[in-house]
Amino acid sequence: MKKMLGKRAVSSFVSLMVLIVLVFFLSRLTGDPAALYLPVDASEAMRENFREIHGLNDPVLVQFGRYLSDLVQLDFGDSLRKARPAIDVVLESFVWTLQLALITMTLVTVAAIIFGSIAAFNVGRPFDRFASVLSLIGASAPDFWIAIVGIVLFSVNFGWLPTSGTGTVWHWILPICVLFIRPFGLILQIVRGSMINALGSPYVKTARAKGVKNRPVIFVHTLRNAMLPVITVIGDQAAALLNGAVVVETIFGFPGVGKLMIDSILQRDFNVILAAIMVTAIAIFIMNILIDIAYALLDPRIRA
Amino acid sequence: MSETTTDTAAKTPVTMTPGASGPRRVLRMLWADKLAFVAILFLMVVLLSAIFGPMFLEDMASKTNLRARNAAPFELERGFFYILGGDALGRPLLARIIVASQNTMVIAAGAVFGSLIVGSTLGLIAGYAGRWTGEVIMRLADVIMSFPSLLLAVIVLYMLEPSIGNLVLVLAITRIPIYLRTTRAEVLEVRERMFVQAAKVMGASNRRIVFKHILPVILPTLLTIATLDFAFVMLAESALSFLGIGIQAPEITWGLMVSQGRQYLTNAWWLAFWPGLAIILTTMSLNLLSSWMRVALNPTQRWRLEIGGKKNG
Amino acid sequence: MKQTTLLAGVLLATSALSPAFAQDTSVTIVLGEEPDLVEPCMATRSNIGRIVLGNISETLTELDVRGDEGLKPRLAESWELVDDTTWRFHLREGVTFSDGTAFDAADVKHSFERAGSDQITCEISRYYEGISITPSVVDDLTIDFKTDPAQPILPLLLSLLTIVPSETPIEFTREPVGTGPYVLSNWEPGQSITLERRDDYWGEQPAVSSATYAFRSDPSVRAAMVQTGEADIAPSISAIDATTDMDRSYPNSETTYLRIDHAVAPLDDKRVREALNLGIDREAFVGTILAEGTQIATAINVPTTLGWNPDTEAWAYDPDRAKALLEEAKADGVPVDTEILLVGRTANFPGATETYEAIQSMLSEVGFNVRLQMVEVAEHEQYYSKPYVQDQPILVGAQHDNSRGDPVFSMYFKYHSDGRQAGIADAKADDLIERATAATGDERVALWSELFGYLHDDLVADVLLFHMVGHARVGENVDFTPTIATNSQLQLSEIGVK
Repeated sequence: MKKMLGKRAVSSFVSLMVLIVLVFFLSRLTGDPAALYLPVDASEAMRENFREIHGLNDPVLVQFGRYLSDLVQLDFGDSLRKARPAIDVVLESFVWTLQLALITMTLVTVAAIIFGSIAAFNVGRPFDRFASVLSLIGASAPDFWIAIVGIVLFSVNFGWLPTSGTGTVWHWILPICVLFIRPFGLILQIVRGSMINALGSPYVKTARAKGVKNRPVIFVHTLRNAMLPVITVIGDQAAALLNGAVVVETIFGFPGVGKLMIDSILQRDFNVILAAIMVTAIAIFIMNILIDIAYALLDPRIRA
Repeated sequence: MSETTTDTAAKTPVTMTPGASGPRRVLRMLWADKLAFVAILFLMVVLLSAIFGPMFLEDMASKTNLRARNAAPFELERGFFYILGGDALGRPLLARIIVASQNTMVIAAGAVFGSLIVGSTLGLIAGYAGRWTGEVIMRLADVIMSFPSLLLAVIVLYMLEPSIGNLVLVLAITRIPIYLRTTRAEVLEVRERMFVQAAKVMGASNRRIVFKHILPVILPTLLTIATLDFAFVMLAESALSFLGIGIQAPEITWGLMVSQGRQYLTNAWWLAFWPGLAIILTTMSLNLLSSWMRVALNPTQRWRLEIGGKKNG
Repeated sequence: MKQTTLLAGVLLATSALSPAFAQDTSVTIVLGEEPDLVEPCMATRSNIGRIVLGNISETLTELDVRGDEGLKPRLAESWELVDDTTWRFHLREGVTFSDGTAFDAADVKHSFERAGSDQITCEISRYYEGISITPSVVDDLTIDFKTDPAQPILPLLLSLLTIVPSETPIEFTREPVGTGPYVLSNWEPGQSITLERRDDYWGEQPAVSSATYAFRSDPSVRAAMVQTGEADIAPSISAIDATTDMDRSYPNSETTYLRIDHAVAPLDDKRVREALNLGIDREAFVGTILAEGTQIATAINVPTTLGWNPDTEAWAYDPDRAKALLEEAKADGVPVDTEILLVGRTANFPGATETYEAIQSMLSEVGFNVRLQMVEVAEHEQYYSKPYVQDQPILVGAQHDNSRGDPVFSMYFKYHSDGRQAGIADAKADDLIERATAATGDERVALWSELFGYLHDDLVADVLLFHMVGHARVGENVDFTPTIATNSQLQLSEIGVK
């Protein structure tokens, strides 16, 4: 296991470096931050001065070299707009995203496995049809649409929940519900499909034919075999959430990394973009390792 | 790569319906699942509107008429196409939804097939080929997964043009890892199974093993993901419009219509509702179709559809 | 799972969690975007100015946006012209900064020099570009500004200069110190900023004791927050949502127009530009896509601006005349069939996309070959500012905001041949701008007036569209009337508590 971890760390480091290089150079092809940062009626002298102060006048390669040498000393540079270290800005918002992603994914996983399994054991029965259709409707509606309808309904009309922001536990309910819907529908479908396959597999059939009546045993056994594709999808969904739930964060004024990312991208605040990518990439790396461990535990034949 | 792609296309139908005795049988199996039948009909309608809609309704869908601004639905005095109401510029929503189906389908289908083909091919290679190749491909997937899709969209659409083709490119790239990882995971599992091992022992070529033995097993899962992804891509495109990147007016897609209609949710709900419903219905139809297909394609399950049309075993 | 959500909702309702609404004099204001900095010298940026200007930091002079008193004293008690090029300001006595130090002429000097320093990029400094201004301290409460050339509107320019203590380092600060009635007490990035009232403010104590700013980018969420009582004021909500009696509309000093680059055919032909103007039915927008109260523009500045010309008449909608002009131009060999690109910015204002779609449709009706492209802000800037994209004729839809009362803040940038967003290069316009900038009194008014008329009627410089209105939602517990300057400043002292 240790060897595997070491290998993964090395290879992920390589991916991360590739990512940084890509982002660094590609993002600098998308326009001049001075033009965006300064007002439209700023003079060329002001622009020139801005670029000079932030080192944007040097050749891109020089900028990259400087960035790397700072990075080695764990200096991620300053935010162009906020005049403070980019990494502070990112970590501040990543904490929020991490909490949101963890809570949502835990709820989604538990709920999807329960409901998906019930559906699989009752293929074609009303519950199965109902769960499939309902989860699908939820998963097919645009999240900003659900979010705004949610606010109109639960905050404005009924007055049950705060519209947006942070502060109390109540503030978390709407964003989590909106985030919950889509991965829930998707994972439920995968759990269901995978469980049906597993239930049709020879060993479960044999077990059933032999008269194993113990439902929990069959359930656990089937689930174990059905989990591989499910875990992959859970991983992808969690990764998506760790990258920040842009739309939900934007609407609910939730200070997560997704909102930070879209703002920084639109404003070309390169250092913040890079720091955010690194932080989320490391988080996703850790999560992927957990997934690999889960694979290995579920299926000893796989040695990733 | 192109060679493998054509191979997949050429061979899958054969593996998918071994011993099928033609379209009649397929139709009978379809008729056995009424929901799937309705779904197919709906998808045909969508397909037809996508192909022919813009040809006949383009003008009507783009002609502004401020007098019919936010016209309420279910009123026929302005003509049939106003049955779903008018949008903020008084254009008939029904006509717009029909015209928009073309872009929507092109984007979704393009992105899904693109990522499905590239992703699953890479996944097959990663799962079946040597350790090194597999490793490189998986790291590639990591890079793509960590590359913020919004940044990708901004970069591509800024440097190239915010056109439909480029949007398909952006969406396809971001969806590759999901097929890649799923395929690889399944391949790793399937290749250890008895029949694959047996085929190996009997000296079957790698290509034969992959296409004849492995692909058929993992295809149902991939198709399930692809149909669900169809919805995801439509929604992702809509979210991009919401954030101000992506397809912009005067082009229309269902996603863009929902995103534009959102600000009228409290005053004129129909602006965002109908295109949203179109997305939901299309997605659901695809999903019903895919679960039908999963049964129909599985030799051990097919009997469910063949016994006198009795529903769902 | 849906049931669980509902259940949670029901539980919530029964537990009587009504949004906490404090009955003290604290208010919550919900804004569209969080400022990146709370830096006094950046107060001309609207998202910073709304928090800083008049609350944390003050200026020597202040433009009266509620009445018509013009320029009013704030930290300066009076000012006069000593000679042609020297302005003298007499400062208010007994003013202290929030850090306890006393306010004097040295602080003014430092503030001015800090804003103009090339070590930081303070936005305010752009208004002093091209003029040499030298402040010199006469005594503790008197300061002279020597300018070259003469700067007749220096007191107005100084209404933008926020005063910081002379100890302030020349780098961006996150802990602003000012002489204003409030002090920054808490900043939770991404969530809120809180200002607390100071006890030792020199002027009258405002009614509001503390103000919390929240940030939500979606206008309907902002509106909902006031409706539910989570916020007291949402200075900017969408016209579409402005349907309750809590909503006030106000001219927000934004002018929407289509900038024309006169260098590219066929837009170099005056008839073509006239046809553009005649082909748009401006009236049709008002009360439909755009809010009731939107005014049709005849100038880039709002009518309350100095020298605004009442004699220029808005272009009437005349599609037949537009078609005829195009035919005429075509007969003379003008390439009127060339595709014209209309560039709009997404979410520039509520209904932006619809507005540009309608314009495209109207222009197509009269025979133009217009293609619409909506772009995000960075791409828009590519089209809006020089050097221009000139591979095809382009109309750039844009908004300009000048609530400062004098056209000088607009004209150079938008119409002088060296201006960064100027579509024209016209010797007479250049001359008028330069002369008006240097003129005072009635002569200044006359020159600006002449320029407005010349641009609109003779040059047909651009397609002026609308003076926009904004909408604010004000909760029942506070008293607040938005003004033309509400976009750029929001003084808490102007909020009454019921």
